[in-house]
Amino acid sequence: MTKVSNKKVISRLAFRELRSNRRMNIVVILSIVLTCVLFTALTSIGGSLINGTQQETMRQVGGDRMAGLKCVLPEDYEKVCEDSTTCDVVYRVIVGNAVNDAFKNFSVEINYAGDENAAKASFCNQTTGKLPENYDEIAVSTLVLDALGLPHELGTVVPVTLNVDGEVSEHEFKLCGYWQGEKVAMAQECWVSKAFADKYAPTPTKQFNTLEHPVYAGYWQVDFNYANSWDIEGKTNALISRLYGNSENAPDVGINWAYTTSNADSGMVVGGIVMILVIFAAGYLIIYNIFYINISANIRSYGLLKTIGTTSMQIRRMVRVQAAVYCVIGIPFGLIIGILSGKILFKAIMVTMNIYSAASYAISVKLLVMICLASTAFTFLTVMISCRKPCKIAGSVSPIEALRYNETNINAKKRDKKTRTISPLSVARNNMLRSRKKTIVVVLSLTLSMVLVNTLFTVLRGVDMDKYVSAQIVGDFIIMHDKVSTLNYDDQHALITPEQLEYLNTIDGVRQVSPIYFRRGKLVFHEEPLERLNTLCDKYADTDEHGSLTNAKDNGTIPTDIYGVTDDVLNVLEPADGKIDPTKWQSGKYAIVNTYYLGAEDEKGEPLYSVGDTLTLSSMKGMDEDTTKDFEVMALCEMPYAISTQSYYLFGGQVIIPESTYSEMTDNRNAMSVMMNAEENCFDDVDKQIRYMTDRSDSQVIVKSKQTYLEEFSDFTKMIKLVGGTLSGILALIGILNFVNAVVTGIISRKRELAMMNAVGMTGGQLKKMLMWEGVHYAALTAVCSVIIGFLLDNVVVKSITGDLFFFTHHFTFMPILICVPILLLLSAVIPSVAYQTICRDSVVNRLREN
Amino acid sequence: MEVLKTEALTKIYGEGESKVTALDNANLSVRQGEFAAIVGTSGSGKSTLLHMLGGLDRPTSGKVYVEGKDIFTLKDEALTIFRRRKIGFVFQSFNLVPTLNVYENIVFPIQLDGNDVDDKFVNEVIGILGLADMQNRLPNQLSGGQQQRVAIARALAAKPAIVLADEPTGNLDSKTSQDVLSLLKVTGQKFSQTIVMITHNEAIAQMADRIIRIEDGHIIKGGEPND
Repeated sequence: MTKVSNKKVISRLAFRELRSNRRMNIVVILSIVLTCVLFTALTSIGGSLINGTQQETMRQVGGDRMAGLKCVLPEDYEKVCEDSTTCDVVYRVIVGNAVNDAFKNFSVEINYAGDENAAKASFCNQTTGKLPENYDEIAVSTLVLDALGLPHELGTVVPVTLNVDGEVSEHEFKLCGYWQGEKVAMAQECWVSKAFADKYAPTPTKQFNTLEHPVYAGYWQVDFNYANSWDIEGKTNALISRLYGNSENAPDVGINWAYTTSNADSGMVVGGIVMILVIFAAGYLIIYNIFYINISANIRSYGLLKTIGTTSMQIRRMVRVQAAVYCVIGIPFGLIIGILSGKILFKAIMVTMNIYSAASYAISVKLLVMICLASTAFTFLTVMISCRKPCKIAGSVSPIEALRYNETNINAKKRDKKTRTISPLSVARNNMLRSRKKTIVVVLSLTLSMVLVNTLFTVLRGVDMDKYVSAQIVGDFIIMHDKVSTLNYDDQHALITPEQLEYLNTIDGVRQVSPIYFRRGKLVFHEEPLERLNTLCDKYADTDEHGSLTNAKDNGTIPTDIYGVTDDVLNVLEPADGKIDPTKWQSGKYAIVNTYYLGAEDEKGEPLYSVGDTLTLSSMKGMDEDTTKDFEVMALCEMPYAISTQSYYLFGGQVIIPESTYSEMTDNRNAMSVMMNAEENCFDDVDKQIRYMTDRSDSQVIVKSKQTYLEEFSDFTKMIKLVGGTLSGILALIGILNFVNAVVTGIISRKRELAMMNAVGMTGGQLKKMLMWEGVHYAALTAVCSVIIGFLLDNVVVKSITGDLFFFTHHFTFMPILICVPILLLLSAVIPSVAYQTICRDSVVNRLREN
Repeated sequence: MEVLKTEALTKIYGEGESKVTALDNANLSVRQGEFAAIVGTSGSGKSTLLHMLGGLDRPTSGKVYVEGKDIFTLKDEALTIFRRRKIGFVFQSFNLVPTLNVYENIVFPIQLDGNDVDDKFVNEVIGILGLADMQNRLPNQLSGGQQQRVAIARALAAKPAIVLADEPTGNLDSKTSQDVLSLLKVTGQKFSQTIVMITHNEAIAQMADRIIRIEDGHIIKGGEPND
């Protein structure tokens, strides 16, 4: 086939047509900009969040590599380096821990970093100074320096009590480098020199897992990356079997859960996909409609082009060239506005989410470029997909049909029409049916934003402040360890001294100070619970819990959290069974035991005890002395989350006993937490005084106030309103733009038809009424669709997502739709009227002459 | 009886150098039941004249009386209502409402007026024009000739004082043109309907009772019944 060089003439034609259609240009470019803004803003927010969460998790883990081998030898490092799948391999040599008294609130590891990259991989790249080279040099984080009360100055002497596998020695190092410490990190790192490491932690000769008693010093930690973060676990398993076969000597591996959690969060992925689909749908609906409408309006000129010899392909190319030109103009604006609005919204999210390290969430240039590329591709694809069908229509129109085209005839089935009485309303209804596709697209576009607004409102309305706050706090104030859920030992929990309790009692305006004591103990089973346990063992034979259940059965005990509480705490308990009697309670013979031994979250637990059963608690008094005591079960009840240890056993108990009985069973007089209530007008003063105490305390005790949670909660809802509101706002704008465009184009393209109706006797008022009825049809259809789709979406999606949120009480409402409908009706009445007024500037005769 | 009359009807488009006098001091009168043809070449002013007669356009000066009523004393809305009651139009390009079927198109002006349709009369018109079998069809299912017959039926249905036909056969082949014109004439005679038709085709004009000639905006012959 001969290739004809006709691109130039087609492009010229496309450009000329573009220039002649200013109104359409504005609408298309606006909709491309809006689509691009939506996508860019959301991906930049999502990208920053995912990236930031991943970074923050890495800082907690203490490393940015995807996987690592634990406690290996130098030859293992070589093997990993040689493997083709790994990259960025680094190693650290374990030396020991620093156990200075000053480090009681966090652990400090002493290691040797293989090189700068190894330090960087652990987020410990010194911002000042260098890595140690001489025997007595050390590089530490600022948190370590602060804990030791040392200045951030190179050359400072750093005293370290070093514990190398149980052998403790004192050292003095010279500070050669330091970096900003991460509070979120599980352990602080200190780098020593190779010479020091060689002396105190010489390279062992035996494989770690062949040792009888584990000794860590001198073993290497080898961390590395793969080309991508997909299936790190699978890749690591494959690597291990490649390097070690099925040998039992294969080392332990560590997978960085910063990568696995971000990959495995299916909810986020589904949410993301839904969002992208919504934006695509919004963009598609409007861009498709504009092209479709425009092609319908210009069909005669396409017919003419065909008559004079333009081929279908050339016409299709012409439309595609126009679409591409629109993209070139619209996308850059969309990207800029999208990134800016994403940044503003993200800032708001950061503030409300109380994010730890802003550094983690800083958006990198690489990510920004990726977002821009993705948005460009997405928007371009949306535009191209949207104009595919209109392109086809433009290309396939026959010249003769084009001349007679009036939206009713192309591809329409030749059907007779029933006779009805004529009125502006009936003519409007006929007009709506004339181009069903256009009507459906406009209605869907408007529906999309209405449904979104409605869903957002349903979600916001469902967020239950009381539920949220009561889960976080009981009483007006709680004083406790700031990371209570991560604590392991009883002594770590018990931080509030009797002196501090005394101080709290002296604060003016305090109504009540209720200490909560805690220690770990055991529940010793009697006959009835053992029988129930046997049943549970059979029932859960194939589950993860089975091991714990069998252990419990064999031992006749389960680990148990024992809480000693004052009478005031009884008021905040909500028994699932039994009744709490404060007078009986004071006798010290009764205990309250938990219901949920299994199925901690959604399914109903299976209690081992019934009210009236005898329960035996075993606890440690002092170091070696076991004390046991019998109680009668008064009620079945959970300890409120806010004043519990906030951690749970796979299979364990929770027993609440009176404070007085508790102190008979233990020597530790410190409380785990304190629940306080204050007089209403003294909140601020009491808050200040408590903080005065906690600030001066050496331990990590913090105070949480109801007020803070209320503020946090309102920040949280503000954030949802802001992000959701912006999103629905833009979608609403797209919907309205689509509606305006459809109505206005519909009127302009029917200019002649309207003039003819006017000529044969339809008055201006009747014509306006007819056009307004058309608009009202759009509004009514949108309202009906919104209610139906909104209801379905609410039942299928919203319920399933929010069902898991403890602070959500579901109430479906049509209120936002009901509020939007009058606005839509108003728009649908005003816009056609204005548009008709505009075309009426031309006389009937001129309009009749138009072709 | 005089149904239509103009007095010194003048229409000037533009100003200054681009000023064009499309119609200059045109006087004509048409009697009840008469079938008059306005003939002129392209650009002679015949369409402008027809638009003035139908109240679609306002003159620069002069008057148009329909059944003795000076129509340009009416405001736009009232003029439209007057038009649908007193004037029937047949356009060259048929101008049917695409979403209404044949019957609905025919009774469109009557129902817009909120009046009951005189079914007997309308069915008679439909029968004469041969549209009885296609009443439920949409315009795009009809041929050009059929569409024009629907347009004629619409013009007659409201029993107007006058039917104005603007090159009614301009879009039709000669055989169909002949048929349509014959029907127009026959129905006009049957219902004593006054018809004013404009055409540039002498042969078609010959079918009329009277020929009014127009040239450069001037009526040069046939303006009065006895001319």
